[in-house]
Amino acid sequence: MNPIRFLFRRKGGKGWHWTDLVTWVWLGTGLLIMFGPALWLVLSSFKSPTQLAEFPPTILPYVSQTAEVGINGEVKELPLYTAVTEDGQVRTLAEVRRIGTVAQMVDPDAPDTVYKVNINDRRPVRQVGFEIENYLKPLQAFNFGLYLRNSVFVTTVATLITLLTNSMAAFALSKYEFRGRNGVMLLIVATLMIPLSVNLVPLYSVVSKLGLLNSLWGVILPTVATPTGVFLLRQYMLTIPDELIEAARMDKASEWQIYWRIVLPLTAPALAVLAIFSVVWRWNDFLWPLIVLSRKELFTLQVGLNTFAGELNVQWHFILAMTVATMIPVVVVFVFLQRFITAGIAGTGLK
Amino acid sequence: MGRIRLENITKNFGGLQVLKGINLEIEEGELVVFVGPSGCGKSTLLRQISGLDKPSSGAILINDRDVTEVSAADRGLAMVFQSYALYPHMTVKLNLAFGLQNAKMPKAEIETRIADAARMLEITPLLSRRPGQLSGGQRQRVAIGRAIVRDPTAFLLDEPLSNLDAELRVSMRAELGALHARLGATMIYVTHDQVEAMTLADRIVVLRGGQIEQVAAPIDLFERPANRFVAGFIGAPSMNFLTPEEAASLNGTPPAGAALIGVRPQHLEPADSGLTLTVTLVEALGTETVIHGEIAGGKRLLLTLPGHRPVQVGGQLTVNADPARLHFFDAQDQRIG
Amino acid sequence: MRSDVKTWIGAGVTAPVRLLAQMADVPLRQWQRLAGRGGMIGFFLLPNMLIFGVFVLVPLGINFAYSVTGGTAVFLPDRSYVGGANFDRLLDCTNHFDPNSCRDDVFWIAVWNTVRFVGLQVTAMTICAMITALILNSKIRARAFWRAVFFFPVLLSPVVVGLIWRWILQRQGLLNYLLYQFDAEQVNWLTERGWAFTAAVGVSVWAHVGFYALILLAGLQAIPRDLYEAAEMDGTKPARAFWRITLPLLWPNLLVVIVLSLIRAVQVFDEVYVLTGGGPGTSTLYLTQYIYEVGFASTLRNSGVASAASLLMGGVLVVLTLLQLGLTRWRDRK
Repeated sequence: MNPIRFLFRRKGGKGWHWTDLVTWVWLGTGLLIMFGPALWLVLSSFKSPTQLAEFPPTILPYVSQTAEVGINGEVKELPLYTAVTEDGQVRTLAEVRRIGTVAQMVDPDAPDTVYKVNINDRRPVRQVGFEIENYLKPLQAFNFGLYLRNSVFVTTVATLITLLTNSMAAFALSKYEFRGRNGVMLLIVATLMIPLSVNLVPLYSVVSKLGLLNSLWGVILPTVATPTGVFLLRQYMLTIPDELIEAARMDKASEWQIYWRIVLPLTAPALAVLAIFSVVWRWNDFLWPLIVLSRKELFTLQVGLNTFAGELNVQWHFILAMTVATMIPVVVVFVFLQRFITAGIAGTGLK
Repeated sequence: MGRIRLENITKNFGGLQVLKGINLEIEEGELVVFVGPSGCGKSTLLRQISGLDKPSSGAILINDRDVTEVSAADRGLAMVFQSYALYPHMTVKLNLAFGLQNAKMPKAEIETRIADAARMLEITPLLSRRPGQLSGGQRQRVAIGRAIVRDPTAFLLDEPLSNLDAELRVSMRAELGALHARLGATMIYVTHDQVEAMTLADRIVVLRGGQIEQVAAPIDLFERPANRFVAGFIGAPSMNFLTPEEAASLNGTPPAGAALIGVRPQHLEPADSGLTLTVTLVEALGTETVIHGEIAGGKRLLLTLPGHRPVQVGGQLTVNADPARLHFFDAQDQRIG
Repeated sequence: MRSDVKTWIGAGVTAPVRLLAQMADVPLRQWQRLAGRGGMIGFFLLPNMLIFGVFVLVPLGINFAYSVTGGTAVFLPDRSYVGGANFDRLLDCTNHFDPNSCRDDVFWIAVWNTVRFVGLQVTAMTICAMITALILNSKIRARAFWRAVFFFPVLLSPVVVGLIWRWILQRQGLLNYLLYQFDAEQVNWLTERGWAFTAAVGVSVWAHVGFYALILLAGLQAIPRDLYEAAEMDGTKPARAFWRITLPLLWPNLLVVIVLSLIRAVQVFDEVYVLTGGGPGTSTLYLTQYIYEVGFASTLRNSGVASAASLLMGGVLVVLTLLQLGLTRWRDRK
């Protein structure tokens, strides 16, 4: 069946209603607006600088055809055009040089005759092709490999620390009765109200006092202190029956073993949700790394990309390619773990 | 009050045919129970009648009017859902009034109807509460009340007692029976519980695999099951089935063509001659004794004897039955005689 | 076979971790014997609390101290006490609705920009999220696919979002090309004040609407189908069913969504910063950017003023968060 018709067919096959039209329009426009920009970005990232400067733009990336032409004993790689010469004939010609509005062109097979063509009478010969250079150059020349490594390091380490410390705290707060537990809970609730953006200035001074300025640890540690993780895990651990823990104690398990061997494995679904979110958060973090990191070789991808976009204001072909590269890990996460993530959000209101 | 006729109703879900041509006539004031194992199509059939679903083919007639294409709201039926489906954010009173307000009924009329229904169901003190503050039984009453105030052509009840605990279920069952007697309204009642079916119904419709197996009054169903399935489904514990060879020592001679002989556990009694079985398990329930045994050839047999009987596990027991109590089925599992 | 390989790899990855955890058990058993269960509670809480303390609570304390000191020094002991001068500077206006009449006009521009942004963004977002959720909850085919469509931008990083849209909204970008196709007048989306503001709101809605739609969708799906069938039997028209059943039952979720998006919108920074850099002029300059610029970026660094401004913003956030916590609790109780 036609996939479009499949997508839009109504369940139950009931008659049409004006709400069906609204649904159609909303979903169709949604598809265009939500996916379109990313798609346009990807397509554009494969275009050459000259092509990016074109208006109106083409949808697909094209690569100009060139031909090797021997002129005065020298073999040159020249761009090919379809040109209308003075005699009104249409020929495929290579452009030797351009003076003002006139292009000097030759036939690649007979390079001795020079045609003079008005630049409005010629059109480049080209075919769909991808400018891979856009991706390769920045990776070599602009430190993007390094930024990538920094980002991977920050994301991995921050996620591991988050999982460990948050799950330990959540375990203590869900499975033990102790004096001051409510106090600790209140403290954690309180930190919910103080997002990083409120604490920027003093946090900077703390981090610099600790000597963590211009260090990836300075990026990692403050972000690990998310109360959301403790909340999520605690909520989940509360559903684990206390009998299990008591049974483990009867079996002479130490408290550490109870945490590690019993509670943690049972919390796996919540840990997975937190892990996915932590990876996305840390990968996407921007403001805090921007403040802590001023040495270029320490930049994370997001900071690097932003700086890069600021410096290379005209070099959109590199910017676009690197934006796509930065986006890829998140898109991969999205494609494979979409169900997990949506279920996690619906269940916890986490973001 | 209403008469409902179903003509050749079928329903397909994708490639699956859930209802395979149902024909049924329900008389005015009758309480008809749809019963059958889960997946037999009984709830689906009820949804077709209610108008919440449309049959793939066939016609539904209410008081001789074809309502197959008529929306649920305009069929004049009321439904009591298994989960009660009370609006959680409205008070009991608003729950009862909601449908009447939809019909633009005058306020005074709504008030009297609610007051009457509330009195009948003894929920007057609950009118200003919300469903969340009610017990299961109270919610059940409100759900029934919501149906009553609409003064419907017929009541549709979809497993209404299945969410109640055992004790409450028995008392609500009796109340439902009394309510039916009092209102004299047509009711269609879906259940998988044969006790509910037997005690409440004027007639029982036994469904299996989307088809009607038998339509009969409860006692007829018990005494003259139309086929092997109904015979096995109605009655607890289930009927014993024997081959003619195994049943050779029983009283009476099977009619020609009998491929299967059925006898209910309650109708087997100790006798001097008959089937000899080795007792494998005895369940003494006080009011009756359930005896599990094996006859020669290894076929398992069940009988229940009234009162307490001292029977030894591993002992031998010879049983027989009144020939009039035997059921005979042909090779196609249909009843003979 | 494949799952065998998977478990094998999994075991290979987790084995060293397990070994480590097992080794940790020996000293921890000793500690448990020594300090009892209370000591173990302390052990479990310590890492998290330490990080909380050092990176949240201590900074918060310093924040208050900073806000009453002046000068350019980073470390607290080197700073001079100025009392309420920082707050005075921020709050001193002849007319608070007119930034030009204020001592710190940029702050008030940022405040009013943020207020306008929050108002427009939260409204637009809630409406879009609501419609999307309602449609995703209706009888459509391939619901998972459509949900993914609207959710997709949520995971993108703000920098990527900003750059994607900067590329589309630039003078010779895709949007202007589309306008050109329809013979409409082209617009300098990011360099005209009004349009830049609209673009900031639009991009921000684009990036987050999927998240809120998802929360609302979960709320809608939690409404039992039976209720709608009962309403259908009761002869309820669809519009009335929406107003009398869907909306009242969704209301707690809707409130949570509104407050949550308010909290996020007040802190708006990164995607707009990448998109417009706060410009043209100051037309898309919001509070967080003001704090960032005064605290870090500008040549006239003034940590005291930045702290004072963060505390003012923090006050608003505390109120909103308390509201949200209260609402969530109320919703979960319902």
